[in-house]
Amino acid sequence: MPYTVFKDNREFIKALEANDDLVTIQQEVDWDLEMGAIVRRVCEKKSASPYFKKIKDYPGFEAFGAPLATYKRLAIAMGMKPDASVPEISNEYVKRTTGDPVKSILMDKKKAPCKENIWTGKEADLFKLPGPMVHDGDGGRYLATWHFVVSKDLDTEFVNWGMYRQMVFDEKTMVGPVLPFSDMGKMFYGKYVPKNKPMPFATVIGCDPLSGVAACAPSPIPEDEFTGMLMGAPVELVKCETNDLYVPAHAEIIIEGEVLPDIKIDEAPFGEYTGYRTSPREPRTVYRVNAITFRNNPIVTVSNMGVPTDEGQLLRSFSLGLEMRKLLESQGIPITGVFMLPESTHHLVVVGVRPAYSGIASQIANLVFGSKLSPWFTMVVVVDNETDIYNKDEVIHALCTKCHPIRGIRKYEQAPGTPLYPFADPEERKWSRGSQVLFDCTFPLDWPKASIPIKVSFNNVYPKEIQDMVLKNWKSYGFKD
Amino acid sequence: MAKKEYDTFILIELSQVPEDKEMEIIVRDLTPEDRRYKYRSFYATAMISKSESKYPDRLWVRLGRGQLQEKPWSVKILKEVNKFSY
Repeated sequence: MPYTVFKDNREFIKALEANDDLVTIQQEVDWDLEMGAIVRRVCEKKSASPYFKKIKDYPGFEAFGAPLATYKRLAIAMGMKPDASVPEISNEYVKRTTGDPVKSILMDKKKAPCKENIWTGKEADLFKLPGPMVHDGDGGRYLATWHFVVSKDLDTEFVNWGMYRQMVFDEKTMVGPVLPFSDMGKMFYGKYVPKNKPMPFATVIGCDPLSGVAACAPSPIPEDEFTGMLMGAPVELVKCETNDLYVPAHAEIIIEGEVLPDIKIDEAPFGEYTGYRTSPREPRTVYRVNAITFRNNPIVTVSNMGVPTDEGQLLRSFSLGLEMRKLLESQGIPITGVFMLPESTHHLVVVGVRPAYSGIASQIANLVFGSKLSPWFTMVVVVDNETDIYNKDEVIHALCTKCHPIRGIRKYEQAPGTPLYPFADPEERKWSRGSQVLFDCTFPLDWPKASIPIKVSFNNVYPKEIQDMVLKNWKSYGFKD
Repeated sequence: MAKKEYDTFILIELSQVPEDKEMEIIVRDLTPEDRRYKYRSFYATAMISKSESKYPDRLWVRLGRGQLQEKPWSVKILKEVNKFSY
């Protein structure tokens, strides 16, 4: 069943405007830091998305900032009411993505909006696109900040859509990190590089919002089919001009080319998802460009990684947490929910559980840290079913009162990590070594019942009739809230 | 003619950077004729000096996390080096 969703960013921009969540900026803005600074401030203030109509040096191009940096925008993208709560959005996401995958369909090239303009050869020049200098001090202009890269396995039909940042190096070259445990990293470094074969790629900029959500999601379902599940309808794809990859037909800009197996060049620094510039400038994966196709008056999407909350933090937290929820439920663990705080820059996950047996928190941590997604989970906080996992105050209270500072904390060393951890030392970053920790915020089951502390809250220590009376008379006591 | 300006990222101790010797570095063009090409990177054979006036063009120095150093150096770009076969 199709949901009320948007086939492209243009429809989504109109929906944000209709929901008073868009600021259309008519005055010219500079791609060199000004645009980035605006988007950064938007993320930090949780302001409406900026829609830039005039970009200095680039007449005819537009830009759209912070497209999905709030739950409100995510709810709108999902076709839900704008004030849907996080649990409501989460449950809807799980419902839609638990059924059968929805196969994408092909669109005739002549009808595909992303083919309205085609540059090949010398004309396919990255500096003809308004790649922003996002933060002062970045290693270059990052054309790809809210986008995804399409790549295909060398031996199978497996296709990956993933967000791998790309810095413009020169007219024909982009460069960026491809971590070896990522889907694209496994294909490229595991198969193409040993055979010294270039890997075809297509970078999709300005896709519909749910394709972006899917590209962030760590689901085993192919991302185009996952997008179809979120939309309730097939995604329309079109074949690239210079390789056999398929891309969303309604996207704004497609950059086609090859990932080179025999050379690396320096990339970074860059303001990263953790809110710091952490990973070193070092030789990284090289993309050479063969063609650029784009819609008339293309709209470049601009995300700005930094301190919370940007769309990378929000959506990765959202989808990582929910994929972990699916995994834990599939194992029969009596969880009450999983929530990853966006403010944790998807490092801390809160798992609510009915403490049915001893050691349940360790079992949860072992599953989380033993999963494919392990490097993105550095801290697991397990709380009991009395704690609202979505309520930061309650989670902090549980962490500080139920987690024993020695017995409640278990460390996991020698884990896979990333070079992006700000807390890691330079050697750990160099070798992508991680460490993880469990905070067990459940009271041990072997304590005598009479020894278990009783939570002192309005809901817990007053008889129901007293609670009802106080609630009924609240306003008449003189309270205004 | 106004000096051209470039910048480069230095990933070793600044005191260890060799001066007045031909070496290969990556620089970014900060003053291209067509502003759309600002920050274009390229490999270059170049000579550098910590003196701002020794070589014809200005070279701004950034450290590994992007920290801009207060005083510029100078650079003489001898040639651009193409690292790609196509």
